[in-house]
Amino acid sequence: MNVYLPIAEMSESVFVLLGMGAAVGFISGLFGVGGGFLITPLLIFTGVPAPVAVGTSTAQLVASSVSGAVAQYNRNNVDIKLGSVLLGGGFIGTLIGVEIVRILRQAGQFDVFISLCYVLFLGVIGTLMLIESAQTVWQSKSGVSPSSRRPGEHSWVHGLPFKMRFNRSKLYISAIPPFLIGAFVGFLAAIMGVGGGFVMVPALIYLLRVPTNVVVGTSLFQTVFVAAAATILHAGTISSVDLVLAFILMIGGVVGAQFGATAGSQLKGEQLRLLLAGIVLLVCLRLGWDLVVTPGELYSLAPVAGSP
Amino acid sequence: MRRVIFLMVLGAGWLAAGPAVPVAGDCAALAQPASKVKRKPAAVRPAAQPSPLPPERVEADVSTRTIAITSGYSGAEILVFGTIENSRQPSAESGFYDVAVIVEGAPQQLMVRKKGRVGGLWVNTSTFNFNAVPSYYAVASTRPLEEFAETALLDENGIGLEAVRMAAAADSAVRVSSEDLIAYKDAVRRIKRSAGLFKRDDYGVIFTGRSLFRATIGLPATVPVGPLTARVYLFHDGNLLSRYQARVVLEREGIERWLYAFAFERPFLYGFVAVVLALATGLLASAVLRRRAA
Repeated sequence: MNVYLPIAEMSESVFVLLGMGAAVGFISGLFGVGGGFLITPLLIFTGVPAPVAVGTSTAQLVASSVSGAVAQYNRNNVDIKLGSVLLGGGFIGTLIGVEIVRILRQAGQFDVFISLCYVLFLGVIGTLMLIESAQTVWQSKSGVSPSSRRPGEHSWVHGLPFKMRFNRSKLYISAIPPFLIGAFVGFLAAIMGVGGGFVMVPALIYLLRVPTNVVVGTSLFQTVFVAAAATILHAGTISSVDLVLAFILMIGGVVGAQFGATAGSQLKGEQLRLLLAGIVLLVCLRLGWDLVVTPGELYSLAPVAGSP
Repeated sequence: MRRVIFLMVLGAGWLAAGPAVPVAGDCAALAQPASKVKRKPAAVRPAAQPSPLPPERVEADVSTRTIAITSGYSGAEILVFGTIENSRQPSAESGFYDVAVIVEGAPQQLMVRKKGRVGGLWVNTSTFNFNAVPSYYAVASTRPLEEFAETALLDENGIGLEAVRMAAAADSAVRVSSEDLIAYKDAVRRIKRSAGLFKRDDYGVIFTGRSLFRATIGLPATVPVGPLTARVYLFHDGNLLSRYQARVVLEREGIERWLYAFAFERPFLYGFVAVVLALATGLLASAVLRRRAA
């Protein structure tokens, strides 16, 4: 059963799209990640134009992050003040990102740029995760306990001006690092259609030393708003959000996420991370392959904006 | 020799060959007064007649005038059917006439990009703009086009994939050599062909009677929305005898039409609605699933 996607201007099987949404939802439920980093490349592989893939996955991201954010908020795991600072940066980053998408699209380099971004980010994140989780797995096997953080330690981050008190996180730090982290994540959301949790969470933990229980909730809180802003801007500037496509992905995604979460509780944390690292690296290799290998078709066609 | 007959046929209007079959339209009006002079017996086989004959004319129509693109749209088929007036072929199988049917989409601006290797990566290095390339082009014929008409005649009438009209934008055309221009045009044909947007069907036109023919043209779902033109050409012995044109409109309907218009006319509001829909879906789904799990 095919469905016509009015903005992507193509027809695709509903079951393929639902399956894709469910698979990504499963993975996001399993690992507690947004899954945006998988949706965008998958859509591009299916033949959806890259800008539509990015715009649509930002809309899907709103749906997949809002339920998590509400759940975390109810458990009082959201630092609204910290989240707001992150968000302020996030909006600036999103604005810059959407503008860059528009410019690159005009220059005809968007497809290459997005592939490059993905290869770079997935490569770095995947490798780091692989090393970290492999070490943990190895350590837990050999009986050495992983080294714990030293909470009293101060870094250069704590020497910056504009200090603010974040009660929920029990922090008294400069507003500049969270603002910049927020901006960077917003930028990523706009250009890659990802939530940026994989950048935000480590940055909050290791750079700002935000307590772990507040990190996920605050990150999700910021994601909802940044993704919403990115969706509106993508739709508003280049009309690249396909509602039909987004809706099908959302449905598949929320269902898949439930099963993922159940499956996730059966596995150990480090095993999960090792598995996720593998998936991330696979997607990275697949995208990188297309950039390096001589393409079968050197030419490509693009409709000219504004032509009927 | 055939060219002579063709000219004679054209002249038949007032040379007035008495038609064995009733003639319709303008020809009949012209033929009427003169037919009193020479009257031929009724049941002669036209092909065997050495004297001038009424000109053949082709008339055609399409099965659907508007194709609605709704949520279930996954392509459509257009049936182009037509008839040859004053047909002189003895049977459907005789192969006396050759027919080419073309269904063509509206001309569109198109940008062709070429990849090149930069620092080990394949990136788009050059672009070429076309002012007008048909969004879709399908040609069907009774047998391969090259077998029944000269290339020049086909090109002149825009029949066949090699004859598809592609107008280069002036600013792009001055930049590239003629070989490059050909390479770009070939690339358009190649990519459009592999996408099913340019196609030829060498035996796609079938005669179902002495004068009746039909062709089925498949439109993939990726054909851009807009008007389509169906053109029909009638050939005999390398000569173009007659042509006919009909229109088809490909339109979004229902929710697809509404969504598309919404996305492009009120883009920010559309984005806002997308966000609200996403929020509602996310919250609703998690509420439903949580209740079920609890």
